[in-house]
Amino acid sequence: MADGGRAARQRAAAEALGVAVAARVPVLLWGAPGTGKTSAIRAMARAMDWPCETVIASIREPSDFAGLPVVIGQDVRFAPPVWARRLAEAGHGLLFLDELSTAPPAVQAALLRVVLERVVGDLELPPNVAVVAAANPPEQAADGWDLSAPLANRLCHLPWDIDPLAVADGLAGGFPAPQVPALPERWEAEQHLALALVAAFLHARPALASAPPTDAASAGRGWPSPRTWEMAARLWAASGAAGVSGEARSALVVGSVGDGAGAEFLAWLMEMDLPDPEAVLADPSSFRLPKRADRAYAAVAAVAAVVEADPTPQRWQAGWQVLGLAANSAPDVAAVAARVLARCRPDGVALPAEVRLFAPVLRDAGLLHS
Amino acid sequence: MTTPGAGGGIAGLAAARLWAAARFPYLASGIFGARVVAAPGIGTVAVDPGWRLWADPELTANWTAAELGSVLVHHVCHLLREHGPRAGPAGVRPDEARTWIRSADAEINDDLVPAGLTLPGDPVLPQHLGCPSGQLAEQYFIAGRGRTADRGQPGTGHKNGAQSGGGGAGGELDCGSGADGFGRPWDSSQPAVLPPWQARLLQRLVAQQVLAAKQAGDVPAGLLRWAADLLTPKVDWRRALAAELRKAVADTAGAVDYSYRRPSRRAAAVGNVVLPALRRPVPEVAVVCDTSGSMSDDLLAASLAEVEGLLGALGLARSLRVLACDTAVGPARRVTSARQVELVGGGGTDMGAGIAAAAVLRPRPAVIVVLTDGYTPWPDSAPRGSKVVVGLLGDEAPDAPDWARAIRVPS
Repeated sequence: MADGGRAARQRAAAEALGVAVAARVPVLLWGAPGTGKTSAIRAMARAMDWPCETVIASIREPSDFAGLPVVIGQDVRFAPPVWARRLAEAGHGLLFLDELSTAPPAVQAALLRVVLERVVGDLELPPNVAVVAAANPPEQAADGWDLSAPLANRLCHLPWDIDPLAVADGLAGGFPAPQVPALPERWEAEQHLALALVAAFLHARPALASAPPTDAASAGRGWPSPRTWEMAARLWAASGAAGVSGEARSALVVGSVGDGAGAEFLAWLMEMDLPDPEAVLADPSSFRLPKRADRAYAAVAAVAAVVEADPTPQRWQAGWQVLGLAANSAPDVAAVAARVLARCRPDGVALPAEVRLFAPVLRDAGLLHS
Repeated sequence: MTTPGAGGGIAGLAAARLWAAARFPYLASGIFGARVVAAPGIGTVAVDPGWRLWADPELTANWTAAELGSVLVHHVCHLLREHGPRAGPAGVRPDEARTWIRSADAEINDDLVPAGLTLPGDPVLPQHLGCPSGQLAEQYFIAGRGRTADRGQPGTGHKNGAQSGGGGAGGELDCGSGADGFGRPWDSSQPAVLPPWQARLLQRLVAQQVLAAKQAGDVPAGLLRWAADLLTPKVDWRRALAAELRKAVADTAGAVDYSYRRPSRRAAAVGNVVLPALRRPVPEVAVVCDTSGSMSDDLLAASLAEVEGLLGALGLARSLRVLACDTAVGPARRVTSARQVELVGGGGTDMGAGIAAAAVLRPRPAVIVVLTDGYTPWPDSAPRGSKVVVGLLGDEAPDAPDWARAIRVPS
């Protein structure tokens, strides 16, 4: 049980990795050395039967990514290394950049175009090449650098938190390969929907559209920018189409735009599922109480709050009708909102019949003073 | 249809939840978020990490709405404050789970009981553990562990007194796996009511509502602190200092980095290819320590040790020079350990003098680390050719100038 959360996180990270590869979004696994990041990625490539080119970024030179400058007559050509040629010829494959955080700054700079645009020197890799990277947190690698903010902003960051039980099973029976889901044809269309959702969210919270990190430590992880929001939308659509767990979907969003902004977006999405309180007041009979009690509470509290903000007799009575509908299945939830409505009774309006529904539960709770 | 969580078989649950939501409106989302399940025969009310409350109907039958509601609030606080996941990092062994739960109870109860929580039995309060109020469960736990070890009788620390969720008739009640992270027979096979990511969202929502209720003025201070810490997580100053120092060293030195400024020595062998050369200047680092009377020795030693450890990891420990500075500057000393630093100063403070003295050292330091309490005049600009990282020690240190990278080191 103590490790239940960990096992779930590990499963979610593997699922999220598969979705990111399927959606061709560059992804970076963060984990301590020796926790099986490399073997998981290689196993994933084997399971897909894709060629996998492993490039250890920390022992490479910038020219391995920016192309080797070769003087030919009057020109300087940037010759791509042979691993890039192999991927280009295969037409698809996995480019695995290992040890990203121990790569010197000049190498990280050279990687910028490789990671996002898949351009190596003068060669453009085909769109079916997925970029996957792995890194050790700087505090765990002896000579680690923090990832530069521009490079960090091009990747979806997933924590690779190893589950001891999975290790025990893996040692005995081999490690399961993360699955890359097959995305249905229509998923690209769903991306427009996801982009519209993100756009609506950013209208509501413009400060989160772009928030470059202010300190060096958080610069090396996901942070909100127009690019990462687009990435988050793409991953949201792909993960929805692939039907992965909510845990994995949330890991993908948080990994793209960072902890704070990601959580705000997810919370906003859940709020979107609640009925619009003004629409409910206009037509109380349309109100359907959400099943989960905390969501039900959020829905009726929202209705009570908009009535309290503008308590005209008509709105006030409509509010009571809504609570009357909720009182049957969740008397306690509705009674909390009823107390709010009771406080803002407009002058000269008679008490509605619904009030009586709440008397028993209020009395039991010791809140009714006769 | 009954709303999930309305608790089949637990009499008076609706009234209890209403009491709780009315008494602690800022926790209402959390209170309704937990699903209550009747579990006859377990003899307690317990919570699991998946936001499920297991209640023995026989036990709760005699409780008032206020008592059952208080137990609900108490358990929701176990979840909100993540006592289950925190037990592992705090080093709690299975045989110490009771001590940990009592510590966690004290963290919850110390400000909610004064705010109106009416738990059945005698709730655990910090004074029962011999501790002042307002501390974290980890602190109570260390104190409690020391006490049981003194007596040599593990377990006696929690035999007397009712507990936690509340005890009827002096019996002991178990708060469950949501409070200590160790599975219980009744919950280990159950899937979570709220998957972890939704639990995190709910936790943030409650924290936002707690902060929003701040104006009303009746929110306990401990809860406000919890909410503020959750929504604006404090960056560990050690991590921040490490990152700034690594960055300063990397920026100035480029450590092992490639440059086309000079052709590679191997260029001759490969004809028409331009190869970059490796350059690795070893940066010099100087540390200026504020030794004025207002400084705290402990903080200075802690941050100096941290700087030293970092530079050691970067392979720069040998080049560390330390200057003690108040208004005058002591001679630069090359030190190999933080223990060798003597705090010689006293009196007034001027870090500008220290920075100026560090900047004229030869070889010139590429990175100057200033450890100060911030009560000092600063020069108008950074010294030429050196990066400055300022460690501001203490909670109330004023800001450092813009040209320096500042890290706050709370006491």
